[in-house]
Amino acid sequence: MVRTLISGPNFSGRSDALRGSLASGAKAFVIGPYAEAALSGLASTVADEIAVYRADGADDSASFAPLDLTIYTDRKPQTLSGGEQVLLALQCFSQSAYGRVGIDTALEQLDGDNRIQALDYLSRVERDIVLIDNRLATAPPGWTGLACQPEKPAFPCDLESLVAGVAPCAAPRIVISDLHFAYRPGADVFQGAALTLEPGRAFRLFGRNGAGKTTLLKILVGVLAPGRGEVLLGEQSYAPWRDGNATFALAMQNPDHQWCGATLGEDIERRRASLKTGQEKVSDARIAAAAGKLGVTSLDQHLYELPLAARKRLSWLWPFSGVMPWIMLDEPTIGQDRDMCRALAAALDRLCGLGYGVVFVTHDDDFARQVPHGIITIDNHRLSLD
Amino acid sequence: MTPNGAALFVIVMLIGALAASGPLGFSLLYAVLVAFALVEVRAGTTTALTRSAVIVLPLAAFMAAVWIGFVGRSPAEIAAGASGTRAAAAAYVLTVCLRLFLIVAAIQLVLLRFVHLTPLQFICALRLPVTAKRLLALTLSLTETLRQAVDRARTALIAAGVITRRMSLRNLVHGWVLVQTVWLSAITIAVGRMRDKWPIEGTLGRLDDLFQRARTPSLAPGDAVWLSLGVGAALFGLGIG
Repeated sequence: MVRTLISGPNFSGRSDALRGSLASGAKAFVIGPYAEAALSGLASTVADEIAVYRADGADDSASFAPLDLTIYTDRKPQTLSGGEQVLLALQCFSQSAYGRVGIDTALEQLDGDNRIQALDYLSRVERDIVLIDNRLATAPPGWTGLACQPEKPAFPCDLESLVAGVAPCAAPRIVISDLHFAYRPGADVFQGAALTLEPGRAFRLFGRNGAGKTTLLKILVGVLAPGRGEVLLGEQSYAPWRDGNATFALAMQNPDHQWCGATLGEDIERRRASLKTGQEKVSDARIAAAAGKLGVTSLDQHLYELPLAARKRLSWLWPFSGVMPWIMLDEPTIGQDRDMCRALAAALDRLCGLGYGVVFVTHDDDFARQVPHGIITIDNHRLSLD
Repeated sequence: MTPNGAALFVIVMLIGALAASGPLGFSLLYAVLVAFALVEVRAGTTTALTRSAVIVLPLAAFMAAVWIGFVGRSPAEIAAGASGTRAAAAAYVLTVCLRLFLIVAAIQLVLLRFVHLTPLQFICALRLPVTAKRLLALTLSLTETLRQAVDRARTALIAAGVITRRMSLRNLVHGWVLVQTVWLSAITIAVGRMRDKWPIEGTLGRLDDLFQRARTPSLAPGDAVWLSLGVGAALFGLGIG
């Protein structure tokens, strides 16, 4: 059995090395960071996804089965949270006949307990493993390390300079009360959740995989409408699910879930068209300059042709442009090396100092420790602020 | 009833619906369908009929507006060069809608009859060549990809404030952006899958293994009863009975 940890900074060719190592020889299982590369795309239920990969006579007792299939079996795989999709992919691999697996930063989406269990499973399963994981500083015992180095600097990112140009802001206080939400009857995510968030601070939204972290962010930007409940911005009622969102700049977990166009220029143009009168003063030139500081200098750059780490950084463009008073980042450190995580933490701290409110979701404790923050915990369908 | 019997039953009802022309043919086909619903589907019947109505009613309203409201004649009268009547146009619209409703309701009832099976389990149980099953599975995959793309594009545009969740003037103005973003998302989802995952895994080959392993039950006695009733009703509809 060969277990390999591919390490190195962003754009050092780690993903190419992973693909190259899997391309020759027998077929290998692949778990990429997001649904397109984690799921087969051939199944419309979790049960079917497992059936697609399940080997004849698979030994269930030896499989990695973190998901409770009595709950998940009829769910559409694409509707699972990012972490749950990775757990499902690992479960499929464990029941398959594949002798090799390549995992590209996918484990970074798992919560603490699930991550420990997944790494434990990978360290004892008798199959070849190739892993990229930014949170593992060194290869675990029994693993081989393969270090990659960038040949030349690519997509240079200067967050410090970017936030230095952001104007101060007086973000409103957020008051959430009696929030109820369910994706379907009997599957409640929130039951009477309440929370007050003061601006000028960072808050870490914390909970198990599938607890409802992304759901809360989607409610606040108006993608989902709560069954009941009220949100106040300062003293004013706020219902973006009716009136549209002009308060929260959200960088999504999967950056490809937030593009409004094929190129950077198209994306900027369409977003600018939706801004309210007071926000239009942010010029195209300033946004383009901000994009340059995130590593993308051409407005004609096709977004989907960028490497994933560069797309992820570019997804911070609107949160860091100072257009909206509240900044929400969903798993911002996925696929980012340690240097970038440090720079991101410093940038968020600076934005808080300028009066913006910040909510971030992360399972990366090292990153979270670098940002002074309050902790919002989702537990038992309720929110609590520590 | 087996999935194979159900698939054949839908095909028979579809042929019957297309062939039926008079009230007797339609009455017999609907009688068989109602009996099938009450015996095989039971509690899900209301859901199936409601879904069918939701699908067919908008089309019925559109056809009524066009044929009865604007044209005022049936196609047969137009072909014959006759002046025509709105009553004939109404009869034509009714016939087409009865056909459509019968087909849609038969499909919905069969889907609900086998709601306990996952889509792949249903395809596995069909007595078809592996290539045909793979084609069905890929069609299903494409449908799911499109649904995923719609959800993804909608999420992106609402979060960016380009459109709103509920109906609004902004949605009218930027609706075309949604359509464009859906297609862009669908293409990039498919490309991502085919570039990174499928070639290394040989994922499509997994389907062949699955289909070859699957047990495909033969027709059951219950299938023969429903197929006989359906064929009989279709023949009466054709005037052969």
